[in-house]
Amino acid sequence: LVDVELATDDREQALAALEQMCERLLANPLIESYSIELARV
Amino acid sequence: MSEAPRPTVAVVVFPGSNDDRDAQHALELLGADAPRIWHTADELPRETAAAVVPGGFSYGDYLRCGAIARYSPVMGAVIDFAARGGLVLGICNGFQVLTEAGLLPGALRPNASLSFVCRDVPLVVERTETPFTSRCAPGQELTIPVKHGDGCWFADDTLLGELEANGQLVLRYAEGANPNGSIGDVAGVSNEEGNVLGLMPHPEHAVEPLLGSTDGALILGSLIDAARLSLAASV
Repeated sequence: LVDVELATDDREQALAALEQMCERLLANPLIESYSIELARV
Repeated sequence: MSEAPRPTVAVVVFPGSNDDRDAQHALELLGADAPRIWHTADELPRETAAAVVPGGFSYGDYLRCGAIARYSPVMGAVIDFAARGGLVLGICNGFQVLTEAGLLPGALRPNASLSFVCRDVPLVVERTETPFTSRCAPGQELTIPVKHGDGCWFADDTLLGELEANGQLVLRYAEGANPNGSIGDVAGVSNEEGNVLGLMPHPEHAVEPLLGSTDGALILGSLIDAARLSLAASV
């Protein structure tokens, strides 16, 4: 489980950023899957 | 008679690399100059004719082996070098870094046994028309050690078929000797262009009789031959 805190209120922007992080670094899509859950803090 | 020119084969060093000096020693023994290049360098030496990404560890291998190193400054230089047709060899952790960087197909997973393996393994040379295996005979069996916990190379059936058809599966573990569960017994794979190769076994640990095998010299010697040729072509 990876917790990421983003300085934004924009849900779409947060999702887009997290998708990119997952695709490029946090997961290797060839061998790993991922899901993203958003929560306001 | 003049001595053969010594091409420069740059050896990349990350925090955690531990086979960089072995690679440097082996390459110099076999006729190259092999400066070690720290991970913060954003370019390779101008005279670089080939690059080696060595074994060991890198940046703690957090997330996945090689996942962090792939974003290091020096890897930007290696990626540019490879894109220009430069010869790049990734050994063990270097192989993992190159797959994470997208320079090589597939991915490395934990060994099927979930145990670290450290032993000599027999390999079969599948392709000899590459810059990394030109000194080998087709089907030749090499004895080279492995030492890794995450060496189980993976590709799905579609990708495996493409790589097979393209001749990118350069080295396989001999039948019954796969130490890590790698798909198709693949031990070494190249990119489509053929200028980048990654392998889990350590040729730099098999270059002198004292080490139990000199078969690694066939791999590194082939690379040096090709680097020398690229040097001559660039003059």
